[in-house]
Amino acid sequence: MSPSVLVLGLGNPLRGDDGIGPRVIEALNRRGLPEGTTALDAGTGGLDLLQILGGWERAVIVDASDIGREPGQFVRFTPDEARFVGSEDMTSLHNAGLAEVLALADAVGQPLPELVIFGVQPGKIDWGEGLSPTVEAALPSLAYAVLEEINKLVTRDT
Amino acid sequence: MTKTTNLNVNVHHLTRVEGHGNIVVDVQNGEIKKCQFEVVEAPRFFEAFVRGRPYTEINHITSRICGICSVGHSTTSVEATEKALGVELTEQAMLLRKLNFHGEMIDSHVLHTYYLVAPDFLGIDSVIPLLEMNPDVLMRALRIKKLSGDLCAMIGGRHTHPCALVVGGFTRTPTERELRDMQDRLVAAREDMDATVALFSTLPWPEFSRETEYVSLRKADEYAFVGGEVVTSDGFTYPIADYKKVTNEWCVPFSTAKWTKHNRESYMVGALARFNNNYEQLHPKAKEAAKKLGLEPVCYNSFLNSAAQVVEMVHCVEDGIEIIDALLSKGVTPEDPAPVNRTSGEGAGSCDVPRGILFHHYVYEDGICREANCIIPTNQNWANVNADLKAFLPQILDKPEDEIRHLLEMLVRAYDPCISCSTHTLRVELV
Repeated sequence: MSPSVLVLGLGNPLRGDDGIGPRVIEALNRRGLPEGTTALDAGTGGLDLLQILGGWERAVIVDASDIGREPGQFVRFTPDEARFVGSEDMTSLHNAGLAEVLALADAVGQPLPELVIFGVQPGKIDWGEGLSPTVEAALPSLAYAVLEEINKLVTRDT
Repeated sequence: MTKTTNLNVNVHHLTRVEGHGNIVVDVQNGEIKKCQFEVVEAPRFFEAFVRGRPYTEINHITSRICGICSVGHSTTSVEATEKALGVELTEQAMLLRKLNFHGEMIDSHVLHTYYLVAPDFLGIDSVIPLLEMNPDVLMRALRIKKLSGDLCAMIGGRHTHPCALVVGGFTRTPTERELRDMQDRLVAAREDMDATVALFSTLPWPEFSRETEYVSLRKADEYAFVGGEVVTSDGFTYPIADYKKVTNEWCVPFSTAKWTKHNRESYMVGALARFNNNYEQLHPKAKEAAKKLGLEPVCYNSFLNSAAQVVEMVHCVEDGIEIIDALLSKGVTPEDPAPVNRTSGEGAGSCDVPRGILFHHYVYEDGICREANCIIPTNQNWANVNADLKAFLPQILDKPEDEIRHLLEMLVRAYDPCISCSTHTLRVELV
């Protein structure tokens, strides 16, 4: 029986609060996940995300995002509840993110898993390891919210 | 169209190459005053900071010279250490090492051809616009990249920076099931390879021809990537230990990377050099691909280095399938890495990595590295890049300025330069 829920943490741990995604994955793996769930640090996967998402029924994505809130605050949403604003500088593959992945999937007709996204407002994304204090403080409640979401998805009928 | 009499080109930090470099051209009254590629990347200091580290660490450090060619650096590094400390690989370990190498070859070449070169021919600045223009082409590139990345991860333990690759072999052996599944995927990839050959055979490669010396490895019984002898198209052969007779490095004022030369003022390394020197040993399917691409030995058009990379992708898929057959027919058994026979010694290793022939040379004392020398393919190409630019410019001076700039950029890109790899620490003696 193939695993049903994939949890992806996106972000670069060397750029301050951009590392929130990988930190959540670390926290979830330490705590232990329900059977059939895989938590993956997908780093700065870019367009490769499309390949990583292939074959999963449901996926939860955690990523630092500019959601117009205070640092550390997060919002849970699905793709149809939000409008993604693509990156201004789209000449570099390194800037390709979730918005581009969804656009590409649509363009080639690749089916995607049912997606739930947790966008976390960053404080600082300069070069440097470690989260800023406000975002660090928000990590436990964020990890808890993601875990609650996973449990809901795992126990829900298809 | 009249010939340009005055032209100033200053491409600051050329795009779609790895690393940082500038194209500088100055033409006054029809005379070319300056035409050069300046490497401005900061020196990396790897040869200095491996000194004092134990032999078990060296390849894990030097793999960080590059994220695209980390398997290439790591493999060359362990080859040098194995020479120095007397290590014999098993046949299985050697096959796995070659298969891992093929994975990276495909990964690097698909990145260069699709992401860095193709945009120039499709009239776009990067591969992202393909999202709208032709998403199927973008998906194909992603698929090939994923396959090659997974192949590297299966053997090396990770897509990039192969942590399972160590002196004497691997810390983990793939299972027969994993190898069979990977073989199935390689077979399925033939369709993507055919489509790649078809795409690149339609591209209008610029006309250019400049005879130069081509340097690569050669082996008796296979198209050489890992180990062998050093050969040049001017007819010279050297054991790897004598690599300095080929490279003859020296410093150039406008470049933080050194230059090299052998029988002529410059030489070329990379896919085209390998193709020119070792064509006969390519897999028949790769030779077919070459024919479709209009590529035959000996080719003096540096732009076709990218076409040679497509040929090598086909070769690596086919040879990968055969290597897995060989592994499965003998049966794969988990093996510990082979031990060292001594802890002091000196050795040089060489592999022909995606961008060309690479040398690593170490001296060990009681298991600790005392000296290191790395000669990178891209820095061996700089003299040839500059000679090509100087030869090509007069041929295109009658075109509009934008087109001249674009063609010069494409020429540098064709080499698939890995600029960060090629910059070096300079030994400075204060007098």
